[in-house]
Order: sequence, then C-alpha cells, then structure tokens
Amino acid sequence: MGSRLPTLFGITGGCIVMILVGGSVLAPWLAPYDPSERVARPFLPPGSEHLLGTNDVGQDLLSELIFGARVSLSVGIVAAAVALLIGTAVGVIAGYYPKRLGTIMMRGVDVILILPFLPLLIVLAAYLGRSLVNTILVIGILIWAEPARIIRSQVLSLRAREYVLAARSMGAPDRWTILRHIVPRTALLATGSFVRAVSSAILLEASLSFLGLGDPIQKSWGSTLFWAQARGAFLTPAWKWWVLPPGLLIMLSALGFALIAFSLEERINPRL
Amino acid sequence: MRRRIDLRQLAQYGTVVVVAVTLNFLLPRLMPGNPLALIAGVDVGLLSPEDRAEIVARVGLDAPLWKQYLRYWGDILTGDFGYSFRSKRPIVDMIRDRLPWTLLITGLSLIVSAVVGVILGAISAWRRGTKTDLGMLSGMISIESLPSFWLGMLLISLFAVQWRLLPSFGAVTPAADLAGWAHVRDVVGHALLPVATLSILATPGVYMTMRYSMLETLGEDYIRTARAKGSGDRRVLFGHVARNTIAPVITVLAIRLGFAFGGTVIVETVFSYPGLGRLVFEAVSGRDYPVMQAAFLVFTAAVLVANLVADLLYPLIDPRTRAS
Repeated sequence: MGSRLPTLFGITGGCIVMILVGGSVLAPWLAPYDPSERVARPFLPPGSEHLLGTNDVGQDLLSELIFGARVSLSVGIVAAAVALLIGTAVGVIAGYYPKRLGTIMMRGVDVILILPFLPLLIVLAAYLGRSLVNTILVIGILIWAEPARIIRSQVLSLRAREYVLAARSMGAPDRWTILRHIVPRTALLATGSFVRAVSSAILLEASLSFLGLGDPIQKSWGSTLFWAQARGAFLTPAWKWWVLPPGLLIMLSALGFALIAFSLEERINPRL
Repeated sequence: MRRRIDLRQLAQYGTVVVVAVTLNFLLPRLMPGNPLALIAGVDVGLLSPEDRAEIVARVGLDAPLWKQYLRYWGDILTGDFGYSFRSKRPIVDMIRDRLPWTLLITGLSLIVSAVVGVILGAISAWRRGTKTDLGMLSGMISIESLPSFWLGMLLISLFAVQWRLLPSFGAVTPAADLAGWAHVRDVVGHALLPVATLSILATPGVYMTMRYSMLETLGEDYIRTARAKGSGDRRVLFGHVARNTIAPVITVLAIRLGFAFGGTVIVETVFSYPGLGRLVFEAVSGRDYPVMQAAFLVFTAAVLVANLVADLLYPLIDPRTRAS
C-alpha cells in the first residue's frame, strides 16, 4: 500500500475541495434565498420551506451556509497566498545567502514560531478591527514562518547544485540565478506548503469569527457559529441544524486541503 | 560544546521576551486613531482639553517614545501590569485568580493526550500499512481539521443538554458552597468536558510524532540486529524501540503545551470556564486592551518555560544528544 495511501488521500481531498469550491461559485443558483433577507419567523426548525431552519433574525440558514462558503474559502486561500509570498521570499533569501543574512532571518523565524500563536493572532485582530482584509492580513503574516523554513532548506541544497554553480561562475547576477534557477524548483514544495496553509487558515478564520473578530457583514461559517453560540443554540435542540452543519463544513474544507497537502508531501519527501 | 548551545537557546528565549514586550508597547501606539483611547481607556471625544492634558501626563504619553518604552519595561519587570479598564482591578490580581484553572485543565489534557497519543502512535507504527494504521492515521488527520470551539459546543450539546450527564459551564457550581469530597467531585465534573476537548485536539500532534519517530527507529540497523539474534516482539519493542523513540515526543509535548495553552482562549470561552483564556476573550469583547496584553505576556512566559523544561529534559532522556 506504500504508494497507494498518498494517492487515496489526495483523491479524497481533491473531491472534497472541488465540491466545496463548486458550491461556493454556484452559490447564487444553489441558495434558495438571499442570506441577508429576513424571509421567515426567527428560530424556525427545519421544514420543507427552510431545510435547515432560520436563525435569530429569520434568515435562511441553508442559504447562509452556501454563501458562507465563499467567505470561508476565499479568506483561507488568500491568507495562505499571502503567507506563501512572504514565506518564499524569506526562505529563498535566507537559503541563498546562508551566512550572516540567512542566519539572522532564520533566528527571526524561530522567534515567531515560539510566540504563543493564537493569543497573538487574537491580540492583533482586536487592535486592527473587524474586516475581511484585516483577517486575511493577520492570518497571513502569522503563518508564513513554517513555509519559510521548508523552502529555505530546499534552497540550501539547490544552491550547491552544479548548474547553479555554473550559472554563478559565469557571472550571472544573483537576482537572475534566483529567479531563473532557484525559485522555479521550489514550486512543488511551495505548492505543498500552500495547500497546508490553506487548511490552517480556514480553521484560524473560523476561530477568529467565532470569537466575534470576523467581518460583521460578510458572514463566514465561523460567524454563523458565533451567533449560534451568542443565542445559546447549542443549549437547545437547535444545535442539530444550527451548530452541526457549519462545523462539519469547516472541518470538511480543512480536511480536504490537509489530505491534498499530505499526499503532496509524501510524494515530494516519501517517508512512509 | 553543550554549554554553548544552551547559551544560544537562552539568547533566543530572551529575544522572544523582548519581541513580545516590544509588540505590546508598540501596538497601541502605532494603531490609527488616538492612542489615548487604547492606553488610558477613556473616551477621547468627551474630554475637555485640560482633562485630556492631565490624563496624557498621568499615563506618560507626553514623554519621548524611548522614555515611555523604558518605563514600560520598568513596570513589567516590577510586575505592574496596570489596571483593567473594565473592572478597575489590578490586572496582576485578575491573572492570579484565573491562572490556576487554566493550569488545571491544560495540565490534565497534556497528560491524557500524551498517554493516548504515544500508545496509538506506537500501535500504528508497529502495524504499519495495515487497516489499523490507515484507520488511525485518517482519524487523526480528521481530528486535526476539527474546529476546536465546534467540538466543545457539540460535547456540551450531547453530554450536558441531551443526556444531562455533566454541567455545561463554569468551574464550580455557583453558590453551592461545597466542601471536601463534594467540592472535588464538583470541580472534576466541571473540568471533564473542557479537558476532553483539549485532549482530543492535542492527541494528533503527539500521535504523528510518535508514529514517525518510531517508523524511523524501526528502520535502524540495531533493530534488525536485535531481531536477527532472535529477540521477540515484546523485547524489541520495549528494550530497543520505545527508549529511542520517546525523546522527540518530549519536545513535541512541550510545544503542544504552548499550543494547548493558547487553545484555552477558545475552549474556555465555549465552556465559560473562568481561566486565563476566557479572560482574553472577555478583554477582547470589552476592548480591555491592558488585560489582553498582560495575558499575552503570561502566555508567552508559559510557552518559554515549557520549552526550557523540554531543553533540560532532552539530554537526560536521550544521552546521544549530550555528547554533541
């Protein structure tokens, strides 16, 4: 089963992600109601009109979840892209200049990795205020350290390869060598870190929104759970349709990306 | 040799403290808007110019930045975190009230997740490639994708609401004034669900490290030798594999402790558990910035202590790291 397991995980993850992304793209056609419209009595249990009932102000919960996919997934993906951008830049520079500059940069990375992550995230988000852009920025600037580390170790070994030495000994400027020979070869590894980062960014966005630090207008799955908690839905039978579905969706999307990341990592660095 | 490594490690921890304190100092001063609102907690628009000048002088905002910075360090080193905007109490007292509860549930959950993670990881690696291994591995990856607050909410819905087995909030029954055994039972009952949530969330990290570390050990030459000379499964497992696998797991546990500590912000919020994490949530929703900052420093200190302990334990457990 050695090589079958990563493939199995990868395919499962790919299917989950495709379904969720497809659903969020088609949200306006899939959702039965406008999620910002008050369409029925508040706190309605599931019925034929509203498959998952309504929330505390009478909005359709199913539509809220379908549109919430857009917010949750896009925040996760964009935040991971921000992290990848910073991580690649730091990793490549630290790996290409391993002596003084690289050492100092990696010291910085170690410091960031030790800081208590979630409290720092919350403190930053609280100061910056509630908006989608801030959520993306805060998550992005806190999760780049791990990708930076992975990419740096790859660059360190690439740097010693013959074709890189050849380019440098022929007088190629550093910038050209880095962009032409180093960066393209970190692409596979970077993809793996990116997908893993999406998975954690989705969970982090959910946590921030759950604590009431998300964008108050663009409701994500985490925000739905914030309101479910604020209105005590988990203390009533409503937990089955108000608490269970959004959490399952968060879990599924984080899991989908994590499975893809797992299979990519096993392919790049087989150790099973 | 070893001494030098320790010094470097200490220098790194020192840097972490400086970064954390500096961040705390700069954040309210760099944010857009008037820092007065963030530092003194007053509604700037409602003040007369004289009152304003008086408050600015009292909190020291008129001094040059470097002087404010030194004063900030002085306050922290003397254990003066200031007063809460909301309750007007000294923040040190608030933290002292809250910290034991957080230590209780994180400590217990660390023990549970360590035991469960090590055992499951060992079984998984030992039966590598079988259905058991595949099942456990996918289970653990799924748990890692669980939103922590959602897991807590589900446990409350099931155990506290649906089946009425356990209390759903707080650390003790309010106004019950229990003593002796009844009190202990009450505390344990309230801690059970938060500890379960934190333990479930922390187990995959331990499991993954244990499984990977053990797979590596199982591939070593001395294991093959042990098998070749006819040692049985049990002897190979406990005599050779277990001893060489445990060291990396200790490091992960220390790092996990830091994570679990941070995770209490969310788990304690769900369970209304009166610990440090819940204090952070209350401070965030009440815009009580000094409390938020002080709690962040305490979390940082806790993570550093956990790392230090792991650094000290490592050479005791794995003699190979002593020489190099």
